[in-house]
Amino acid sequence: MSLLTQNRPPTASRRRPLAGLAARRRGLETRRQIAGWLFLLPALVIFGLFAWWPIVRGFTLAFQRTNLVDPAQWVGFDNFRAVLDDPLAATAVKNTAIYVGLALAIGFPAPLILASVMSTVRRGAGLYRFLVYLPVVIPPTVAILLWKWFYDPGSGLFNSLLGKVGLGPYPWLDSPHTALASLVLESTWAGMGGAVLIYLAAMAGIPGELYEAAEMDGSGVWRRIWHVMLPQLRPVIGLLLLVQLISTIQVFTEPYLFTGGGPQNATMTVLLLIFRYAFQNGEYGQAAALTTLMVLTLAVLSAVYLRATRSWSRT
Amino acid sequence: MVRISWFVLIAGCVATALTAAGCSSSASGSGSGSGSITLHVQGMPPATDRAGTAQFQQMVADFEKANPGIKVQGSTNVYDPMTFSAKLAARTVEDVIKVPLTEPQRLIAQGQVRSITGQLQAWDHYKEFNPQILAPLSDAGGQVYGVPQNPYAQGLMYNRALFTAAGLDPDKPPTTWDQVRTDAAAIAKKTGKAGFVAESKDNQGGWQLTMMTYAFGGDIEDKTGGKYVSAFDDAPTKDALNLLKSMRWSDNSMGASQLNNQTDVVKAFAAGQIGMFLGSPGTYRLAKMTYGMTDTASFGAAAMPQAGGGATLTGSDVYMVPKSVDAKHADAAAKWLIFAYALPAYDTTAAAEQAKTLAADPKAAVGVPTLPVFDAARQAQIADAVKPYVNVDLSHFTPYSSSLAALKLRPEPEFEAQKVYAVLDTVMQAVLTDKGADVDSLLAAAHKSVDATLSADQK
Repeated sequence: MSLLTQNRPPTASRRRPLAGLAARRRGLETRRQIAGWLFLLPALVIFGLFAWWPIVRGFTLAFQRTNLVDPAQWVGFDNFRAVLDDPLAATAVKNTAIYVGLALAIGFPAPLILASVMSTVRRGAGLYRFLVYLPVVIPPTVAILLWKWFYDPGSGLFNSLLGKVGLGPYPWLDSPHTALASLVLESTWAGMGGAVLIYLAAMAGIPGELYEAAEMDGSGVWRRIWHVMLPQLRPVIGLLLLVQLISTIQVFTEPYLFTGGGPQNATMTVLLLIFRYAFQNGEYGQAAALTTLMVLTLAVLSAVYLRATRSWSRT
Repeated sequence: MVRISWFVLIAGCVATALTAAGCSSSASGSGSGSGSITLHVQGMPPATDRAGTAQFQQMVADFEKANPGIKVQGSTNVYDPMTFSAKLAARTVEDVIKVPLTEPQRLIAQGQVRSITGQLQAWDHYKEFNPQILAPLSDAGGQVYGVPQNPYAQGLMYNRALFTAAGLDPDKPPTTWDQVRTDAAAIAKKTGKAGFVAESKDNQGGWQLTMMTYAFGGDIEDKTGGKYVSAFDDAPTKDALNLLKSMRWSDNSMGASQLNNQTDVVKAFAAGQIGMFLGSPGTYRLAKMTYGMTDTASFGAAAMPQAGGGATLTGSDVYMVPKSVDAKHADAAAKWLIFAYALPAYDTTAAAEQAKTLAADPKAAVGVPTLPVFDAARQAQIADAVKPYVNVDLSHFTPYSSSLAALKLRPEPEFEAQKVYAVLDTVMQAVLTDKGADVDSLLAAAHKSVDATLSADQK
């Protein structure tokens, strides 16, 4: 079809077939759209039922008192007041903040350093990757039971080893001063494999010419890392930082299985407190209120973080 | 083009329909159209417990024969706080649930279980129930919400082999807390094992401190002006905690690891690592059947050591009916509870039959002493009936059973016990993990915290 014919004004006899063609096209388009929506519908139903509806339900539960059998009562902000009045909530927030800080200080640089070292290894790279990733495939409960033995103040592996060089014994999980850090050590070991592999993949994507150019300019190892590798990894580092921030704020398995929140609430985290509200005390409304507060905090933190690092990750 | 579009449209419809089918409930419901009902009950032993499973199946067959129209579907599930709420909300929880005695008061207070008083009262022997056993399963108005199984009083479980190794007489376990301290120190010194271990996490620290407080003559809660307040900030609880502190830090007789729950303790006891712990004779079953204790001849049970209280805490497994169960199923559930758990504690023939089936498996533990569900005379008759099938060395439980009559049996704190235990957990943990812990200030802080919680919950 030429441009000439397209621009020619339609005569009355031509208008009818053109209008019919347009209507047919519209019908076809509508059917395509319906088919698209029908294909989308299963995913929407599944997400709606198992993700969005529970979120809405959790939010409304924060304003209700219920025993899950009888009709729920609306109680306004009572659940939020109860949570904010609970001294344990402040302890849980403080502990979670310390845990996040320790995880960032210990757990965040560890995989980056390890990946940097591993990227230089030529022989047995596959074996090292396998060994680093191995803890990720060990079920968390099994890993924690294993580490519980490592940490045993009497006959544990760590105190036995340290004892050979005249150190310890240390109480590890039994002391309010070392319990939280002990949890961070285990979770760093358990979760590091995935981050190492992501860093290794990102490092493999850095053009070799950049390193060569830096080397020709007389850069040493540290300057090549600082001025070439790290800037190239910025987007990945930024993403992993956010993921780690969100996952460490939601820490639950480690304090639940290692210490139950003790000693003296030293490892009581926000999620463990939510669990206690809901499943030990049966205060579902308070659990939902604290969950809502945590979700809002996470959303604000994520937004601030993304805004702050937007330009950083683009460069 | 149009044909393809129709094909795509139909495929989309099929995908949607499949999703909808996948999301629809697959529960068949527990009733049937012919007037008969199916009762879903917790409490079926796991398949690995062959004798227990056989006995349960026999019980189901006998019940169905005696109650035409009721089918019983057993489940190895037990009450799990992590799944119970969701199942209750979804109305998929079983018609009969098995809960530990630490839970009934909370479930009653929250209205999550049904009263079965009317159905129980219709049973001929209802009035013969031991009121002390029913008290923890009842509300303030006298409504009863469950039936107990194997009720017990807490006592001192001890390793007879470690007693012997430490130069102590295993037939004369401690009867006072001073003796517990002396014996624990001897065990730790002579064997290198923990002389005595106390639980301290998952609310079990508070639970154990409650046992000790009762034995020292104290109380956890008091009712003043119709409201519950804490009552543990006084001499008995302080003495109990100071004793533990001395054992932990001066005698070094409580082992190295202090953040333990009952599972940790029984597991270590079954492995011969612990001299004494506070528990029930039922932990014999746990040690033998779950944690593979081979040297069961070393298991000894004594009554709760005393320090002026003359009392001990009671416990049991309890079978209850969730509130979500309809009236028809609740009636059938009550019939099952009486048949399966009350009758074998009353009827000698039923008790003997159960014991005989259980004794077929050498791994089972038959004859572990329990508290009387009815009166002492009835309990004695039951004990005689099961005697031929007993496979535990009852002489090792004599220090326990011979002293029980002298003790007052006390239930858990009546109001919000779990919340109180959670606070007392931190006190126990402080005493066991901090050498410089100040018992007075710890209890004062706990008292303030518990009172604030109790007050808020009674508004």
